[in-house]
Amino acid sequence: MASPVSVYSNTRDPQIRTTARDSLKMDLLANVSLLPGEERIIDKDVIYICPFNGAVKGKVLITNYRLYFNSVDLDVLVSLDVPLGAISRVEKMGGASSRGENSYGLDITCKDMRNLRFALKQEGHSRRDLFELLFRYAFPLSHGSPLFAYLNQEKFPENGWSIYKPVEEFRRQGLPNNKWRITFINKNYELCDTYPTVLAVPFKSTEEDLKRVATFRSRGRIPVLSWIHRENKAVIVRCSQPLVGMSGKRNKDDERYLDLIREANDTTKLTIYDARPSVNAVANKATGGGYEGDEYQNAELVFLDIQNIHVMRESLKKLKDIVYPTVEESHWLSSLESTHWLEHIKLVLSGAIQVADKVSGGHSVVVHCSDGWDRTAQLTSLAMLMLDSHFRTLRGLQVLIEKEWISFGHKFASRIGHGDKNHTDQDRSPIFVQFIDCVWQMTKQFPTAFEFNENLLLTILDHLYSCRFGTFLYNCESARDQNEVRTKTLSLWSLVNSKMEIYLNPFYTPESGRVLYPVASMRHLELWVTYYIRWNPRIQHQQQSPVEQRYRELLALRDEYLKKLEQLQMSDSSSTSSDLANSSAPNASSSTPPKKYLRTPL
Amino acid sequence: MFSGKPLKPTFKCYLPPVQTDVNKTIEPPLRKLEPRLLSGEIVVNEVNFVKKCISTDNSQDDLWGKLICTNFKVSFIPQDPPQKQRTQLFHLLLGEHDIPLTCLDQVVTVNDLKGKKKILSSNQKLKFNPTELILYCKDLRIIRFCFDEAGPESARKVCLAIAHYSHPADIQLLFGFEYQGRRYHESKEERLRSSTQRGGALQVPIFDRSSDWDREIKRTSASEWRVCSVNQKYAISPSLPEHIVVPASLADQDLKQYSSFYNDGRIPMWCWSNRDGSALIRMANITDLQQQRKIEQRIFSAIRKSHPQDSEAVRLELDKGLPTIQEIQSAFAKIRQICVLDPFEETEERWLSSIENSRWLDYVRVFLRQSAEIVYLLDGRNVSVILQEEEDRDLNCVVSSLVQLMLDPHYRSLTGFQSLVQKEWVMAGHRFLDRCNHLKKNDREECPLFTLFLDCVWQMMNQYPAAFEFTEAYLTVLSDSMWIPLFSTFLFNSPKQRTQLLTDFAKNKAIPPGEDPAGFFPAVWEWSQQFSTKDQTLFNNPMYVGKGSARVQNGEVKTFRRTKKVYSSTVRGTSSLPANGLKGNGERRRSSLVSELKPDFSPVKVESPSDRFFRDWFSQPADQHGVLIPLLMPSHVALWKLFFLRWVSEACIPNGGPITTYHKLSQLVDEIDILQSQLRQYKGSSPGSTPLPSPSAPPSNQRRMYFKATPPCDPSTVPDVFTSSFPFSPVGNLCRRNLQGTPIGKFLNGAKIWLSTETLANDTV
Repeated sequence: MASPVSVYSNTRDPQIRTTARDSLKMDLLANVSLLPGEERIIDKDVIYICPFNGAVKGKVLITNYRLYFNSVDLDVLVSLDVPLGAISRVEKMGGASSRGENSYGLDITCKDMRNLRFALKQEGHSRRDLFELLFRYAFPLSHGSPLFAYLNQEKFPENGWSIYKPVEEFRRQGLPNNKWRITFINKNYELCDTYPTVLAVPFKSTEEDLKRVATFRSRGRIPVLSWIHRENKAVIVRCSQPLVGMSGKRNKDDERYLDLIREANDTTKLTIYDARPSVNAVANKATGGGYEGDEYQNAELVFLDIQNIHVMRESLKKLKDIVYPTVEESHWLSSLESTHWLEHIKLVLSGAIQVADKVSGGHSVVVHCSDGWDRTAQLTSLAMLMLDSHFRTLRGLQVLIEKEWISFGHKFASRIGHGDKNHTDQDRSPIFVQFIDCVWQMTKQFPTAFEFNENLLLTILDHLYSCRFGTFLYNCESARDQNEVRTKTLSLWSLVNSKMEIYLNPFYTPESGRVLYPVASMRHLELWVTYYIRWNPRIQHQQQSPVEQRYRELLALRDEYLKKLEQLQMSDSSSTSSDLANSSAPNASSSTPPKKYLRTPL
Repeated sequence: MFSGKPLKPTFKCYLPPVQTDVNKTIEPPLRKLEPRLLSGEIVVNEVNFVKKCISTDNSQDDLWGKLICTNFKVSFIPQDPPQKQRTQLFHLLLGEHDIPLTCLDQVVTVNDLKGKKKILSSNQKLKFNPTELILYCKDLRIIRFCFDEAGPESARKVCLAIAHYSHPADIQLLFGFEYQGRRYHESKEERLRSSTQRGGALQVPIFDRSSDWDREIKRTSASEWRVCSVNQKYAISPSLPEHIVVPASLADQDLKQYSSFYNDGRIPMWCWSNRDGSALIRMANITDLQQQRKIEQRIFSAIRKSHPQDSEAVRLELDKGLPTIQEIQSAFAKIRQICVLDPFEETEERWLSSIENSRWLDYVRVFLRQSAEIVYLLDGRNVSVILQEEEDRDLNCVVSSLVQLMLDPHYRSLTGFQSLVQKEWVMAGHRFLDRCNHLKKNDREECPLFTLFLDCVWQMMNQYPAAFEFTEAYLTVLSDSMWIPLFSTFLFNSPKQRTQLLTDFAKNKAIPPGEDPAGFFPAVWEWSQQFSTKDQTLFNNPMYVGKGSARVQNGEVKTFRRTKKVYSSTVRGTSSLPANGLKGNGERRRSSLVSELKPDFSPVKVESPSDRFFRDWFSQPADQHGVLIPLLMPSHVALWKLFFLRWVSEACIPNGGPITTYHKLSQLVDEIDILQSQLRQYKGSSPGSTPLPSPSAPPSNQRRMYFKATPPCDPSTVPDVFTSSFPFSPVGNLCRRNLQGTPIGKFLNGAKIWLSTETLANDTV
């Protein structure tokens, strides 16, 4: 009995074409679909030590983009399709003299919650070439070669790079207005090298003010507007920590600048959300940072207790331990609790809820953490998702990610370590994964409020690692410009927007203006099993989102009936009256009131 | 709606009329607060100027009104008619603020000034005037009343009355016996006119007559089994139904003889047969150990003969390895404590481990796993399975019904499910009276086994949302119905008790002999007793794939069509066990089955045939109309939120929750139904002839879906009242004591388990 295991990424990827060139030469690998620009590097007979099916004989193929494996044994159909970008570590296991069956081979750790083990024949250094090639192509940046995104020759009807245009987005929000202006002071990344070129700042602040404020904010990341409330004009402003230091330095310009933000919508108090736990904020003083003190008049400071990147990294590592390869059986819930993953999710979400609540109550807020590119991005983007229904559309989410994450310098390169062999790098951390998890939690609580479905979130996370697209490469806009990402690579949104229907949530009911407040309680937060446990073959058995599937089937049935009815009515009307036949244009047939009534839009 | 009639009620009809000035003018400034009484219901005590606490934190929303105790319920009548939108189902027999006396778990009186509290039971004295009354309900509500402004003496009397009347001395004092008697006579003519059908509109078989069993035998093609009436007049066992199904090769005389050796005379009883002939059988322990071997040999060989392949049966002793009654009760008490009693914020941090520590989900998983293993035996190995339990009246009920739910799609239809409960619980002698503790006589016998079963069903439904005809709202409402003593379903301990009491009842109420008990004391399955036709549509699952399911229609049984067997070949091919590897294997399996929850995948070890069976099954897409096996990884067994958290306002998601998709699905299905009926009208008319002028929708009262298809852009469709608690509302249904500072607060805070009568009684004044 065949049990196909994890032919995963293919199922969601419509753009792969089949190359039949070497089909005769390599039976097993004959149906591998390669991307344009993808090239075969090596193939080899190996044994895949599958944690679910045991040792599986088969053939592995390495290309400049992926690792592909297919089993020989027809009894257990196992295939693997792993983008090399998802690999964080390749190690040799066992030596030439190791005893025991299948003890000699390669051990591969992946960034996407799985590990792979291959065993090879012990004689003749059989693994040497495989190891070396895998190492070279999995970590191209460590070998001075380009990432696959630069070799990818795919073509898409839509250009995803044009999804986000800062000025257009500001205009959508109603900016500039008499309180806020757009500035190009950073067009050469001179004010701040990790910020985008276009910024929105208080109308009353001068370019000189901005420069002086920049000296008092970590890495020059000054407070700038992320979002403005259409009615009450309250704003979400983001920045990095003030450079207070041990001596408790003050900066009048910074103080006045924050007060300008408050003034802009005439509220009495500005709320500053420091995402960190207060102890961390205090500790940051030692390295020159800190937080806003009492000298900031008309401002209140709230700490949101969200832990730093190191804590999050360790938390996800613990989570992996209890879900892969097997789900911890005996004390599942307490093990899950001890990873603290959901607790962190809860803190991030409840921080964002506080921000959103404050803003919808008409009060402007400033959000920062230390550098303002991790926790700050999480908080502002989640709050915007709660406040602004536009960001809950398929394209809106892309804009949100482009804006709050990519353009504002979330350090994707450092956090993910694209193409870099240094797997122990302390800069790596799943901050963006955590954000997507939070979005998923929101979609679970409000299943009709988002235009996109789970499939989109999974696709985003897959390509966060894959290096097939330029979208998540590099740490900031200045580096992207230098490396010509937008001209030499493709955007993930080109893929997504060229095949939108598979990412759409059929339950979506647009409701503009509604603020969504998820319940950030352990009672509702769930482990995202279809992501974290997806390599488990038993999960794959279950249809992805059966409720959504069923709804699609019913929609198709409805359309079929509508069509039949229309045909019947048409044949009727043509036989009885020629007048009615004229009205048989699609969607028309308004001869009977119920018909009109039934035209519910999809 | 299509033919231009005035809008039929939408969900909004359960809300107070929107801004009707009429209402305002009609309403007198000071209403006389009259309770709504059922026929036969009498007010025993009442007190005015009572405050019902709505929220723990502030008294702003508190309601003033009258608290009443009747012989059926505790009722609160608010002075001001509710202004808030209500989202819950409209119950025909109970008001928003009513609690049936049988639903009360604990009646606690408090005097804040003196720092005293007391749990009241029947015939007790109360030495202080209560300032507060807290009612802990079996449906997990917690209702609080304050007597600050009420007459102290009358408040005390009402509390004592509530305590007294919630502890009836005898089952016949339960209000159902009064109510149904009156109802019978009052609605006689109506009944004659409509000739009510047994078991409600859906004709649920009650299994109190041989024809119900006969039909079940035919439906499952269990040709080697026969209905036997050896237990007529309960001659051999008071807890078995009068008609049971036994191997065709056993004579009545033998059965009579064997029965004396079985606990309570409960000889093996057939439950169900699989398509290839393997049967599911349940029985009690043999009490006479000397005879055991001999009798078992005979009975097992008869069961073997009833198998088309003549293969021997596997016997599983369920009380070895499954949790005990006490363990299940204690797990439920703990999870209830965590979900509704403990302060919300304090439980957040250790929520997951607290849930784990309650063990409730473990037990849910163990029962599902046990049942899945039996599915393997019946379906994968095609051997008959005998469930053995000391009394055959508790664990066997859960397991046998779950196995049938997994194997037979018929039981996933609404009628099928209800007949399953009749067959494996009610008529199989589950002691509902004791397990529900309706008389509050013996707390030790109390056990939420049926609730556990419903939770297991919910887990299946959660994983296979299109496989069941009914919804989780249905399961929840069914569980609530256990605490309303008006239906014959959950009142009795055994079929014999049922027959006896209903015969006495008929005699006392002058009901002519020969009348069908199902008619004069209806089962819960007659849902029209509790809900309007419209509200009952909330039970319908719009996702249900119901094609081919067996249905009793117009008294005729459609053949039970099962999907093709997918796994049999594999399993036969790979199973290294002999085709009939029987009792010995049964012994071996028993040890590995039950308690041992091994990892789902242990590739290094040799895969057992059942693991292989499950792996093969899970490697195929699930067929909603075939065998369904739940995923049993702990990550896939979830807390049933609607049941456990529906009253918890802090956990309530405004404008969200599963109802939002349910809403869209049912609107779509309603539209499809309308289209179907229009198409049918077209097809009905012969070609060429003029069709009906305007094809219309089915009349509103025949529509299956709660939410109707609506024209686009209709503002009235914006579902403002949706919350994750829908169709229930947490407002005023869960009011914990504000724990800060008060002596009672300290006490409740320290109580780590649900307060048992004993612990509290010792602690009183």
